[in-house]
Amino acid sequence: MKARVQVVACRCCTEMPKLLDMGRVMQAASERELVVSSMLVDRVCDGKNIKQVAAEAREREVDRALVLACQKKDVNPALLASYVKAGVNESLVEYVDLRDEVVLPHLGDPERAQAKAETKAVAGLERLLMLQPLERSTEDMRTTNVVVLGGGASGRRAAEAAAAQGAHTVIIEKSGKAYKAPGVIMPNSTLVGAKGYGGNFVLTIRAGEKTEQLECAAVVVATGGGWADLKGPLAKACKSAVTLYRLQEMLDTGAAPKGPVVIVDTPDPAGKSMAVQDFAWDDALDLAMRAKKTAPLEEVYIVFQEMRAFGLSELRYKEAAELGVRFIRYERTAGPKIDPKEPTRMTVKDLSQADVLSVSIGTLAFAAIPANRDNQGIADALRIPMSPEGGVRRGSIQRWPVSTPRPGVFVCGSAMFPKGRDMAEAEGEAAGLMAGRFAMQGVIEYGGVVAEVDQDKCSACLTCVRTCPYEAPFIGAAGKAEIRAQACQGCGMCAGVCPSKAIELRNFTDDQIAQETRTMLGGDF
Amino acid sequence: MSERRPKVVGFCCERHGLDAAVLAARSGRCYDASVRIVKVPCSGRVDQTHILQALEDGADAVFVLGCLEKNCHYDTGSIEGRKRVEYVRSTLADLGIEKERVEMFNASSTMAWKFPEIVTRMAEVAKRLGPIAKGGGDR
Repeated sequence: MKARVQVVACRCCTEMPKLLDMGRVMQAASERELVVSSMLVDRVCDGKNIKQVAAEAREREVDRALVLACQKKDVNPALLASYVKAGVNESLVEYVDLRDEVVLPHLGDPERAQAKAETKAVAGLERLLMLQPLERSTEDMRTTNVVVLGGGASGRRAAEAAAAQGAHTVIIEKSGKAYKAPGVIMPNSTLVGAKGYGGNFVLTIRAGEKTEQLECAAVVVATGGGWADLKGPLAKACKSAVTLYRLQEMLDTGAAPKGPVVIVDTPDPAGKSMAVQDFAWDDALDLAMRAKKTAPLEEVYIVFQEMRAFGLSELRYKEAAELGVRFIRYERTAGPKIDPKEPTRMTVKDLSQADVLSVSIGTLAFAAIPANRDNQGIADALRIPMSPEGGVRRGSIQRWPVSTPRPGVFVCGSAMFPKGRDMAEAEGEAAGLMAGRFAMQGVIEYGGVVAEVDQDKCSACLTCVRTCPYEAPFIGAAGKAEIRAQACQGCGMCAGVCPSKAIELRNFTDDQIAQETRTMLGGDF
Repeated sequence: MSERRPKVVGFCCERHGLDAAVLAARSGRCYDASVRIVKVPCSGRVDQTHILQALEDGADAVFVLGCLEKNCHYDTGSIEGRKRVEYVRSTLADLGIEKERVEMFNASSTMAWKFPEIVTRMAEVAKRLGPIAKGGGDR
């Protein structure tokens, strides 16, 4: 191999006083004759130092570089950029994190830290020499369409936010309701299938009797919560019980509810799942107040296990209490009971007073909202995972609270789990913004660290196809697995799982990992 | 030479696993120097052969550190990783090697205490069990 390597170490990250002798570390890393330049600079993030490094790299015609400093993401990206300018492939710059893996955790043990740093530098150099140069490619997005599934509060907000980014929005709405939102609204339509990957999806939409193909760059799932049902012993005992929505309709039409209004969190208080969510609580508080205002002389009760009036909803809770709405808190083990023979009376043990109360019922309503039943079909079509409760599952919460694990597919509002309107709208805005920006990139950038199949070894067992969360591997025309590089996210799960060892992840190949392990084990520390 | 130092190899995923290690270091926690971190993109990348090879090359204990299972950057990666580790553990039991030497852990990037705990535990295992007894001559 005719590599020309430059080794750069940063004093700021590595040279704690009296801990590491960087001279010896540099020497260990520079023993190979392929190393044509080695520099110890004060601060590798500093513009002046970066200039020096790049000038040296140009002069010595360097084509690979080893940076002994911090994590890659903490080092000034200008360093990588200047290497690329100097003709070094971006994947041939290897970073060794001496600061976080050696210096900081081993402050009390300078001797072992020194040995570890030297070994790490050598391992980094060996890994660097095994790396392949990688190129990134681009594919144009065919449209700037952002498809929003669902025209509810979060969906409309998502469409507005995406349109503000310049994307063309299409709302797929299941019902026939006419909403006001930017872009196109397709009423009475549902998503039945999807092909492609983030940037170039082709969705199959059933609109009424017709089935249409729709190209889009990004999808926002805003299907919202489901419709409440009346399943549970309380609803069974009291035949006249209604859902919260029905109660709202009654109040909307001006019909005063009969007798005392009782709002219970769930028709199945002893049930295992607490499906009672804040969305329902905000509405329950509003409706209780409206009922109280409509008929001030009748009692209004809210019977609950846990009141989830978040944030400013707390004020509504206070207002309701001041209006005279009675709150009864119970425990699951001693939940409210209705005797079917006397469906106008409910007994419940009040948790705060420890008394068993007898409440007379005029109108009984339940605040529980289950997950949307349409989620399953949408998740199957888009190949995104679901939560055990039947909602759409989002990706890693710290990194992407409104994204699904699938690039280009975003989720917001009660489609994940029931939540308040404010929260749903805020999430809709976030998801719309993300989707809009994604769609307006115009190109899909792919390549770099992606998986590759050695077709001679592939036995077409489909293990990779089933394992990949991104649908990147598929069985090609030759009857062997192939990787769709546009969809590959570079996790290497397929490479790890392949029973024929036919798949390798570029720059994380078996040889490279084994070599790094071996070198690290060779050091005595 | 003083007493033999244990050798622990830790395959850490680039996402939460390595972040947890970095956060531990930056929050001033020290841990045993015997750990050798090997960066992998995802704990699902780790393959049975990597773990077995590490044991053959002189590691006394090997651990794999991935994201929390319900919060994995690559969705199912850390679940896949755990499957491989469990498979290796059952293989080790068949070979007559203590399966405590290989372990899978999950951490979130905010768990500063987790990485030092893992290292302490694995270093202790490595010290207690010593090097793997090799049958049939020196390598």
